[in-house]
Amino acid sequence: MKWPDAISIKQIALAFITGLLVLMSLIGGFAAYQTREVTRSLEQHNQNAAASELTSAVQRLLRQTDDQAANLADWDETRQQLVLPEYYSYWRDQRVYESGMLPSHFVRVALYTPSGSLLAPSPAKNSLPARLPADVPLHRLSSWLADEAGATVLYHAFPVYIDERHQTLLGYGMIRIDFMPALLQQEALHFADKASIKLTLKPGENLPATKLLSRLAFKAQPDPDRLRFQSILSRTLLALFVLLMAMALLGFVVYNRLLVRPLRRLSQDIDAMQHGRFSPHSSRSQAMRISELENVRRSLYDYQLQLRELHGSLEHQNREFHSQARQDALTGCHNRRAYEEDWEKFRIELKNAPQGVAFLLFDCDRFKTINDTYGHAKGDRVLSIIADALVMALRANDRLYRLGGDEFATFLSRTTPAQAKQIAQRCQSLLDASVFSDLGINEPVGISIGIAFCAADQLEHINDLPKQADIAMYTAKQPGRTRIALYGEDTERASQTLVASRETSALFQALASPGMIEMHYQSIHALPGRKVDYYEALARIRYHNDLIMPDAFLPVVSSRRLEAGFDLAVLNQVDADLSSQQLPPGIGISINLSAQSISHPEVVSQLLELSRHNARHPLMLEITETSLITQMAEVRTYLDLLRTVNYRIAMDDFGTGYSPLRYLVDLPVDVVKFDISLVNKLGQDNRASQVVADFARMMSDAGYSLVAEGVETDTILRKVESLGIAHVQGYLLSRPMPLAKVAASFDDQNADVNCTA
Amino acid sequence: MRLYLLCLLMSVFSVAAHAAIVQQEMRPGIPANAEYLIGQRSKPAVLLLHGFLQTREFPTVATLARGLQDAGYTVLLPTLSLNIPNRMQSLACEAVHKHSMEDDVAEIGRWVGWLKAHGHRSIVLVGHSFGSLQLLAYLSTHPDPAIKAYIGASLVEAQIGTASRQALIAQLEAQIQNQQRILVTQRLSFCRKYTSTPEGLLSYVRWDQPRLLTALKQAPTSVQLIMGDADGMLGQGWLKALQHIQVPLVIVHGGSHFMDGEHEFDLLDHTLKFLEAHQQGSSR
Repeated sequence: MKWPDAISIKQIALAFITGLLVLMSLIGGFAAYQTREVTRSLEQHNQNAAASELTSAVQRLLRQTDDQAANLADWDETRQQLVLPEYYSYWRDQRVYESGMLPSHFVRVALYTPSGSLLAPSPAKNSLPARLPADVPLHRLSSWLADEAGATVLYHAFPVYIDERHQTLLGYGMIRIDFMPALLQQEALHFADKASIKLTLKPGENLPATKLLSRLAFKAQPDPDRLRFQSILSRTLLALFVLLMAMALLGFVVYNRLLVRPLRRLSQDIDAMQHGRFSPHSSRSQAMRISELENVRRSLYDYQLQLRELHGSLEHQNREFHSQARQDALTGCHNRRAYEEDWEKFRIELKNAPQGVAFLLFDCDRFKTINDTYGHAKGDRVLSIIADALVMALRANDRLYRLGGDEFATFLSRTTPAQAKQIAQRCQSLLDASVFSDLGINEPVGISIGIAFCAADQLEHINDLPKQADIAMYTAKQPGRTRIALYGEDTERASQTLVASRETSALFQALASPGMIEMHYQSIHALPGRKVDYYEALARIRYHNDLIMPDAFLPVVSSRRLEAGFDLAVLNQVDADLSSQQLPPGIGISINLSAQSISHPEVVSQLLELSRHNARHPLMLEITETSLITQMAEVRTYLDLLRTVNYRIAMDDFGTGYSPLRYLVDLPVDVVKFDISLVNKLGQDNRASQVVADFARMMSDAGYSLVAEGVETDTILRKVESLGIAHVQGYLLSRPMPLAKVAASFDDQNADVNCTA
Repeated sequence: MRLYLLCLLMSVFSVAAHAAIVQQEMRPGIPANAEYLIGQRSKPAVLLLHGFLQTREFPTVATLARGLQDAGYTVLLPTLSLNIPNRMQSLACEAVHKHSMEDDVAEIGRWVGWLKAHGHRSIVLVGHSFGSLQLLAYLSTHPDPAIKAYIGASLVEAQIGTASRQALIAQLEAQIQNQQRILVTQRLSFCRKYTSTPEGLLSYVRWDQPRLLTALKQAPTSVQLIMGDADGMLGQGWLKALQHIQVPLVIVHGGSHFMDGEHEFDLLDHTLKFLEAHQQGSSR
């Protein structure tokens, strides 16, 4: 059986009242049943009493008749009539009654001769048999009943003797009694219903008086006390029931008014509150009669009012929060949340109104450096000035969004690539006109702008715009660019390498999953002789059986500021490779590190841990020169520390980055690796080649060990050898190889040595 | 022979059988009974008769009979049949009275005869009230040498109330003359509605005071009357009338008609006194 989830208080009241009525009905029914039992018992008692009294009455009547007969038999005058019947009729009709021998004229008497013949004829109306019945024992008192013309008659015959000893029969007497009147005259009949007393005899039947009682039919007189008792009890029960019904009805009404209605009102109010329809000024606010309910109502209303106030306050705050949530607190322009919502909404609107859309991505050049150099406060001011300039440059309805850090974006509707580029140029112009000198920043502050465009008929590619703009923006950041790049025109190749989602995913997975970064080793040869001196460890990412090259993921590392994490992963993998001891002892390893990682404690800690391999494999750290080192002193401290554990420090990609000479002066550099762009200059027969050559000689003279990178031709190799550069590296001599292949090459060399030997 | 046997039986059972109920058929179908109280043979037998419509059980005569027997007198205490077979109850005034003074006198005669038949040669008749009248009527019509004396207690005539006795007699005689078989109702003695045949009533009505006084004067034996001076039944001047004719009369002072209470002893004493005196007189 499943109970309902909830029942109302009204149902409870109805159930209670119904139960009460049922209970009272059961009690009433039980009382009525008991009453009926008592009544039945009383009726039975009454019936028994009626039978008893009727028996007594009959017996009394018969006894009276016996007495009358005996008196008559012993009466002198009876004997006189049997001897001298001259005045018999006087005696029979008058004298017996006047003398009191017979009580009334219901009783008749006649005398018979000893032979049984009637002494004298009886009057017609009270006729007695002319002869005594032959079957009646006349020697003693005999009684019987007979039916005469529908009336029951009791006959009583008796002998009359002349002497006391009853030796001489003088004759007979016979009393005739109208049985029913005589019986009903009995004053003792209180219980028997006189009208119901019936004695039915067959015609001609003589019923002996001894069998009279068995043939007597009767009913008990209704007991007035019992009937009164029944009546009173019935009235009482009815009145009780009516009273109970009235009380139940009244109770229900009172209960309904005092409890159910207020509770229902409260329930409805609560429902209204839940649905926001509650009105504190409605008619429901009237007071309730039950103090507890009134307290609940007051509390509810007070609570609701407070809730409304709180709700209003919350709404206001919510609006504030919504606004704040969509606004960048620093710059006042829209934030990334607003960007996402507006971009989603805009894309939906485009489905109904196709148009050309341009997505512009702005990124402040070297903002990290500015921020680190001049402090966050000034960095924030720079961002505000940039935002102000961009807002001013955008069209009236265009919105500027700060996506994070120094990255801003906007999307332009109803535009063309040319218009987008024009707006981008206006942005740069306004920013160039901005004054940063007030902030103490004398360096130029510029922005790179990536533009992606989607024509009205190519809106199915609308979702690619942010990525395309991102690609274009990084393209714009490449050295030598105009800092404005339009995707498709300027970034066809870059789009394949920069922030493609596949490479980005591979990078993040590699950082999260050890083993995905695979180190390849490219030999560095000592000059002259071109003997392999050590290997440069170059990172690759193994992703779905494909090998992702550094030029595909390093820009992502840089753009996402993942240098430290990436370098830690590289160090771990190098540690694993060296620990495998596949490389022969004495073979050094050069590891690339970004300048930002050097100042990272975890990286330093890992390098110290890795230094245990120095005894077997001399280790070198290559600091990329293209990265801007803003905390020079700190980096130097760490490098000094690392040198104490026998690390050698190399300046990588020398000739391509920032402040190369400053780095050489301030940092403890042991080795300088000339970038391929410089090395390639050596192959030319011009002044540039001479400058590079002279610079190389100068560096060598200064004590730096030089490494020529990217040597791919014999011409350059010979030129490098002629310049006295200590080491050379490039595809001409070897390509980067996996560790197993490097180890195998050593095995082959050992085999060759053995064979030669 | 039968007398001999009776005497033999009485001598044999004299102690055990002091009383007996005797019965005689007075008329065909009309037996009557009497109580026979046996006394000393040397003393006269007393025939004691009850009052009007009473029986021998009536207290005045029953008490007197026991007293007489105790005094040694044989007492025959009959109940007049009044033409009722073996009558045992006082007869109601309203009953059908088919008896007459002649019937009563005849029955007294039968009982006197019975006494004589049973060896009583000296008989004293003692009557109470109307029984005294009936005995006097018997004496006046049946003088018998065996009857030695007569005692009448509370003797009274046949009273008929305020009605004219002559007219009543005439009416009754007329009815008899006309052979009307009717029952007449008349005040008689203490009965207000005495129901009787004209003949029977007439036989009693004829016994008025003068006839009674005459019978007393002409009584063939010694007479003794015992009257109570507080007898309400007596007609005014009756005692004076009796005294006037100088009949032996004892007045019981305060005695009622029934000589009840303490006067039962006065009645007995006076009766015994008379009997003793009479017996002594006879023996001398």
